[in-house]
Amino acid sequence: MDATQNLSLMPLISGASLPVQLVMGLLLMVSLLSWWFIFLKMFAIRQAKSQSDVFEEAFWGHPDLARLYKDFLDEREAAGSLERIFAAGYSEFVKLKKKSDMDNAAVMDGARRAMRATYQREMDDLESHLSFLATVGSVSPYVGLLGTVWGIMNAFRGLSNVGQATLAHVAPGIAEALIATAMGLFAAIPAVVAYNRYATDTSRLSSRFESFMEEFSNVLQRQP
Amino acid sequence: MSAAVSSEPYKLSAGALALLVHGAFFLLLYVSFSWQMKPPQGMVVDIWESLPAEFDVQAPVTAPAPIEKPEPAKPPRVEAAPALPPRADIDLKDKKKKLKAESTAEQRLAEKKAEQAERRMEEVERQAQARSQARQKEQAEAAAAAGRVVDEYIAKIAAKVRRFIVLPPGVSPQIRAEFNVTLLPGGEVLNASLAKSSGNEAYDAAVERAILKAQPLPLPPAEKNMFNRFRDLRLKFSPAESGQ
Repeated sequence: MDATQNLSLMPLISGASLPVQLVMGLLLMVSLLSWWFIFLKMFAIRQAKSQSDVFEEAFWGHPDLARLYKDFLDEREAAGSLERIFAAGYSEFVKLKKKSDMDNAAVMDGARRAMRATYQREMDDLESHLSFLATVGSVSPYVGLLGTVWGIMNAFRGLSNVGQATLAHVAPGIAEALIATAMGLFAAIPAVVAYNRYATDTSRLSSRFESFMEEFSNVLQRQP
Repeated sequence: MSAAVSSEPYKLSAGALALLVHGAFFLLLYVSFSWQMKPPQGMVVDIWESLPAEFDVQAPVTAPAPIEKPEPAKPPRVEAAPALPPRADIDLKDKKKKLKAESTAEQRLAEKKAEQAERRMEEVERQAQARSQARQKEQAEAAAAAGRVVDEYIAKIAAKVRRFIVLPPGVSPQIRAEFNVTLLPGGEVLNASLAKSSGNEAYDAAVERAILKAQPLPLPPAEKNMFNRFRDLRLKFSPAESGQ
């Protein structure tokens, strides 16, 4: 090793040993994926919120359930989670009501179950990929650290062949190894922040859905 | 299922944004690393006590003047040759003084020839002299240039070593330590032995440490084939030169 080494970024990455490069590649992929999910979730949660707002306003504004259900059937594509929960409950309620032998409690139970099932599905969709973000946030620093430790081991192994050890002999190896840690942290920090943010958002949405389900059950119960 | 469908249109834009974030991050990293690329170049100034062989080299450059002299000597010889035949013709026409004339003509011819021969000899001699002078001059110049490079690099070596000398306290500036240094082609020091002690053991040891620490020592580029002149060096160090 030569003291006047090129310490810019690209030579450091291309000059790293194979395991370190593998770790870097893995981290880059993970980081790309996690950022993709971050943006995907951001858009999805924002959309779910705005759709819920719009539907709640429509629902409490003029509670003509049959018309709301007809609107949903007309624009199935644009429907939000809350609207789907409402539609599942209402359609089940209407179907059960048609059977004259059912008593009111059984009808309510059926509508409730239908809403709960849809609610579970919606929450599952909203929470999808969040576990990936959590995993990236907790694991990728360790993966980066593994690459760094490997790189530093190599750097010190190379040092053993040199009689007079100077900082210039180890510095490039350590610098290239530390890039792995930097990449791990770069992948982990946004993932952790995004996970916490989105976990709060989805739990708030979930409580909003649940309270809507309770209120809607009451509305259904008042139906003749 | 349904939410995944609703987030479908965002897949592409989300991916593009993710790539954008990474691109920005790598650009930032790259730029910041590039800033560090400009190394903190320490300026190295070598102070020369006496100018290197430059003046010795310039002296032979003025030498060409004597070489040009033989050239003006040519025209007289060329004029002399055509001057001969008309005179001989005149002598032949005059029958009375035929013999005398012949003898004088022969004499003159002989004289002329001798003169010519002498001039030619002189000419040849001068040319040979000029040639050898030119060759000598070239050699001297090459030697001076090589000497200059050797001097320059020895001074560089000494300057680099001097930078690494840590002066022990209480060293008299007048002392002088001499070291025999054996170098390897890469500039590594194979051996550095004290040739003449300065009388101060601490200073000797400091210089020896500095020689080892200063590796690789600066050497002229390999294509100059001058390493043989650096294989064994005798370097002199004095605390007065360290400027500390």
